[in-house]
Amino acid sequence: MVNLLQNGDLCMEEAKEETPMFCINDNEDVLVEILRRLDGRSLGSAACVCKMWCGIARNDALWEHLCFRHVSPPPSGVRPVVVALGGYRRLYMVCVRPVLSRLGRMRVGLGGGESDLVRRVWTRQEVELSLSLFCVDYYERLLGGGGKLGDAPASSLMFLCKTVNV
Amino acid sequence: MGPYNSSVSAGSSSGSSSSCSGKPADPIDGLLAGAGYRVRSSELRQVAQRLARLENVMVNAPTEVSHLANDAVHYNPSDLASWVDSLLSELHQPEIAPDPSTFSDLNYIAHTQAGPVLVNPMVSHRELSAGTEIEEDSGIRLVHVLMTCAESVHRGELSLAASLIEELQGLLTSVDGERGIGKVAGYFIDALSRRVFAPPSPPSLAVSAFENTVLYHHFYEACPYLKFAHFTANQAILEAFDGHDCVHVIDFNLMHGLQWPALIQALALRPGGPPLLRLTGIGPPSPDGHDSLREIGLRLAELARSVNVRFAFRGVAASRLDDVKPWMLQVNPKEVIAVNSIMQLHKLLGSDPSRGSPIDPVLEWIRNLNPKIVMVVEQEANHNQPEFLDRFTEALHYYSTMFDSLEAYSAPLEKSLAEIHIQREICNVVCCEGLARVERHEPLDKWRDRLGGAGFTSLHLGSNAFKQASMLLTLFSAEGYCVEENEGCLTLGWHSRPLIAASAWQAMPVLQHPLPLINHRQNVI
Repeated sequence: MVNLLQNGDLCMEEAKEETPMFCINDNEDVLVEILRRLDGRSLGSAACVCKMWCGIARNDALWEHLCFRHVSPPPSGVRPVVVALGGYRRLYMVCVRPVLSRLGRMRVGLGGGESDLVRRVWTRQEVELSLSLFCVDYYERLLGGGGKLGDAPASSLMFLCKTVNV
Repeated sequence: MGPYNSSVSAGSSSGSSSSCSGKPADPIDGLLAGAGYRVRSSELRQVAQRLARLENVMVNAPTEVSHLANDAVHYNPSDLASWVDSLLSELHQPEIAPDPSTFSDLNYIAHTQAGPVLVNPMVSHRELSAGTEIEEDSGIRLVHVLMTCAESVHRGELSLAASLIEELQGLLTSVDGERGIGKVAGYFIDALSRRVFAPPSPPSLAVSAFENTVLYHHFYEACPYLKFAHFTANQAILEAFDGHDCVHVIDFNLMHGLQWPALIQALALRPGGPPLLRLTGIGPPSPDGHDSLREIGLRLAELARSVNVRFAFRGVAASRLDDVKPWMLQVNPKEVIAVNSIMQLHKLLGSDPSRGSPIDPVLEWIRNLNPKIVMVVEQEANHNQPEFLDRFTEALHYYSTMFDSLEAYSAPLEKSLAEIHIQREICNVVCCEGLARVERHEPLDKWRDRLGGAGFTSLHLGSNAFKQASMLLTLFSAEGYCVEENEGCLTLGWHSRPLIAASAWQAMPVLQHPLPLINHRQNVI
């Protein structure tokens, strides 16, 4: 706070009242709003900050938003299917991210970074293909686990994880 | 444009001067010059070696080499020799002594500009002239002797064939048996030796259904052929089922049922909601009381339940497709039927086209089911020719291309298992005769004639299927696969050689003959 003294000088004074410190952890809704705007990689990093952030960042609604926020029109009726097959976070990790980056790389040329994925718009067919591959993933885990679901990505989807050969 | 023009003209002028018995100091190779590359004929071998090394380095590079495509500026790339050297030094590769075992692959590079292709030993001399220095190379020699051996088997000269096989096994040691021509030749030599040395009864490839399923699964993972088949078939079936509430899919070879999750999911999400889906899976009987068909059905049912699709499964165990009778399928007259045959129909063909083959009654009962769609996916090859030598030659080309396409897959265990799956096909085509030979592949045109003659009409697969197939291929790391459209059918191939073809069919409506009506009127009159 700047005060005007009688002699015309200016002087700084300690503020009498304490401005409250803003702590993001006390404002979960603001945190969620911020996290909604991140790309997948940042969201993953956010989950490593602390237990509370981990809990929030793992919220499937965030990942649903991430998966389909650039799909126009947004697919309807998809949620129960995705949830049944393993959830949006898994959908993103196993299918959406590799599919987008591969197809994005082919379309744009090279150098599709994570930030490009954020801006890119999907086609309906890319969405459908990702969902189908996700279903195959679920089924292969069913087969492999003898009825119980494992966590590792199914073998036939490993091709999505391999780096592109020159 | 300038540099290319000048290099081409320089190339062709020195090329032509060398053919005019001029005394060029060092002639530019004419064939490569036609493609815009300047390489001296004397340097061909070295350049080919370095290209092979460069390929190795780039594939195994510990870091991304995509910057080479983005940032690097290549001066005068038509000067192939120095361009390759500059790339190699940029990737900091030490000089290694040329490895004679890579020579077999150099044939590919030196002979064609379009990726590895098996050199046809019957090729014209003009095409071979580019690699005259490499001509005595073991790879070509291997193929020569292989063809000679096949010819002698064809003529029945088994003792000659036996000695040639020994020579082949000797030659094999001087090529790299892990890739390229060495690997393919190895499998064919093995098949020939089984045919020549083994007893006349089918060799001990007595297979267990379980082994088959595992190998099939690895083949599914290692290359896109089966995935292409499944996704294309599903797309066509999905479109055929549009608007129907009661649908029935008959799968001629269930295996792990990997095709169906995607269809179930697509039906779950279709506008208007999912139909009631019945799946009848046909498969070989499983030994020791273990019902593998039913287990697969249970898994599929579990998946269908998770996504809220009403689902019913039925398994039909049969060792051969012609053992299946229509009543076993329990078809309901109100439901819409899709028949799905992924590489099964060829097993029903016979060798003599003039006599009936087991496929005819099967096609007839399929037709009598009045299916809305029949999906047929088959290997695009002519392996059912009556003459052994023709079959052998065709198989050599076909499977070389297929092994080529597998090179890109890096997981070694899975790749080997996928290769064993292919090897069994090779053995069947080469060693077996009569009823034992089931791998009787025929090309798409022959299937068109056959299915047309059996009362089916072709359904075009449409652009959605094509787009989906292209996207699926893009997801694979290897570039070289190509999807093509062939009069409404889709084919997937490697470097413009189609290897698998998918087509959709519909039963033609049975014509109502006017004759009985006339008779009836006459009777009345």
